[in-house]
Amino acid sequence: MSLAEVEGVRIEHEHLPSGLWRETGRRLLRNPGAIVGFVFVLLFVLIAIFAPLIAPYSPTEQNLSLLADGCCPGPSWAHPMGVDELGRDELSRVMYGARYSLVIGVVSVTVGLSIGLLLGAIAGGFGGFADSIVMRAMDIMLAIPGLLLAIGIVSLLGPGLVPVMIAVGVATVPIFSRLLRGAILGQRDTDYVLAAQSIGVRRRSILTGHILPNSISPVIVAGTLAMATAIIDVAGLGFLGLGPQDPSTPEWGTMLTNANSYLSTAPFLALFPGLAVVMVVLGFNLIGDGLREALDPKLRGRL
Amino acid sequence: MARFVVRRLLLLVPILLGVSVLLFVWVRALPGTPAQAILGERATPAAIERFNRQYGLTRPIHVQYWAYMKTTMRGDLGTSVASRRPVTTEIKERFPATVELAFAAMAFALLVGLPLGFFAAKRYGQAFDHSSLFLSLIGISIPVFFLAIILKYVFSVKLGWLPSIGRQDVLIDAEHPTGFYVLDGIVTRNWAAAWDAVQHLILPAIALGSIPLAIIARVTRASTLDVQSEDYVRTARAKGLAPRIVDRRHVLRNALLPVTTIIGLQVGILLGGAVLTETVFAIPGMGSWLKEAIFNHDYPVLQGGILFLAFVFVMVNLLVDIAYGFINPRIRVS
Repeated sequence: MSLAEVEGVRIEHEHLPSGLWRETGRRLLRNPGAIVGFVFVLLFVLIAIFAPLIAPYSPTEQNLSLLADGCCPGPSWAHPMGVDELGRDELSRVMYGARYSLVIGVVSVTVGLSIGLLLGAIAGGFGGFADSIVMRAMDIMLAIPGLLLAIGIVSLLGPGLVPVMIAVGVATVPIFSRLLRGAILGQRDTDYVLAAQSIGVRRRSILTGHILPNSISPVIVAGTLAMATAIIDVAGLGFLGLGPQDPSTPEWGTMLTNANSYLSTAPFLALFPGLAVVMVVLGFNLIGDGLREALDPKLRGRL
Repeated sequence: MARFVVRRLLLLVPILLGVSVLLFVWVRALPGTPAQAILGERATPAAIERFNRQYGLTRPIHVQYWAYMKTTMRGDLGTSVASRRPVTTEIKERFPATVELAFAAMAFALLVGLPLGFFAAKRYGQAFDHSSLFLSLIGISIPVFFLAIILKYVFSVKLGWLPSIGRQDVLIDAEHPTGFYVLDGIVTRNWAAAWDAVQHLILPAIALGSIPLAIIARVTRASTLDVQSEDYVRTARAKGLAPRIVDRRHVLRNALLPVTTIIGLQVGILLGGAVLTETVFAIPGMGSWLKEAIFNHDYPVLQGGILFLAFVFVMVNLLVDIAYGFINPRIRVS
């Protein structure tokens, strides 16, 4: 009979979320900046989806009678963002413009991401000759300032929305490929890769099953931030007149070009599409920053 | 140090060769034949024939590339389709405007960005820190051309404080020995012209400098935070050095290292952004020149202009790397 009797106590463990992504999501939701970013992006996604239902007018419908007193009538109850130089409702155009901007961001980043990841995986995964070839090619692309590279590609493909998206996407290829290559090189000498190698896992399976999933987080952050720059760059190319050639297309960059000519009489025509670009881009930048912090808590408050 | 510089210079050769190959292939891949691209769509068959023979376009492609390299190395970038003048002559006229603008933009970005980032780190977690972070987020989220339009509207159209277009008032009688208008005014002791040129630079420089400013502020803040927790800073504090001297000698000096490398990369953003800024403010620089070239299908201008800017960009980055090697002896060895 022992003197001390030990009572069995059930220790309740706090349930810790397992897995990198769940933890990341939890941290992301505690970041006010990232939430604001989500709200901005979600707002524009909803506007883009429901544009035909919520836009008060058609984005291409011209009502020249509104311009009887000169260009252009400013904001009013009937037209909260005013009317442009052809009598089109600015609010409806900005709303439909969200469709273009978001599609543009997604498509160009997808183009850049898929080519960049492929090249980065080849360079980092195979090393040696393949690595040198790919990385020298990336150095050459990086030697040409991004927007100029995009301009060069657009002149090859001819102006238009699709060429502009491809051009902006291709201009981001070096960023993604270098990032993924660096991440892969960092993972290559880790213990778990060594372990996989020693039990005879094939090289390709190690690359796709072990190295890539662990190298992808910086790429996701860069992808979100690239979405922001892509939207700005496509708007910039649209502003230069390289975007959609049909002037009735309510693309924000193209709208800003036209607004620039009416700046002294109708500044609001530049203000609203411009603010829309800023809000979407800010949204993606906030999400990107939040993701970066959430994936690497050491960085919290540092970047 | 000399070996470091030579090695970096040698690394440039394949990159610039690659850029030249890329541009060479690019002109040949353009819609239509090079003759049509260069002479324009309305070129007569005889002119195309003459062009093809003149540029040896009937010869094998590697021979053509060799010929192109030889003329390029001699400093001949071809002739503009629109103006019928040598591309190099036009670069000589246009480049100073862009350099002046890029310098002003970078000066603005550094003068505001460095203190902003540094003091944000000093006041880590306080209101000033948060507002500087917010400001730099806005800075990278606002398209250059939109900011340019806003600045132009507020300060030129509405308030009338600053001129909205061009590099100099047409009524000012000024000589331009260097092509850098501010410098020209100072050199010729024409103070009115120099001041006028400065006024023309302010708005474009702010618009163009906004992205570098935001990035410089963020990097300065991050690296100041890192350096502040280094052992040598703690030692300096522990031995009783005045906080101001610790900041200046130990924190700031080391915190600026990563910022130097960022500056070189920003030059690319400046050169690209110049296309947009010069368009909004009607500045006759490289950017607006390239923009016109796109619309005139002036491929010699695009080919020569982009090659030239790539060369400048790469050289600036080389200089930054060399400067970095001077400031930070550690990287010379590796």
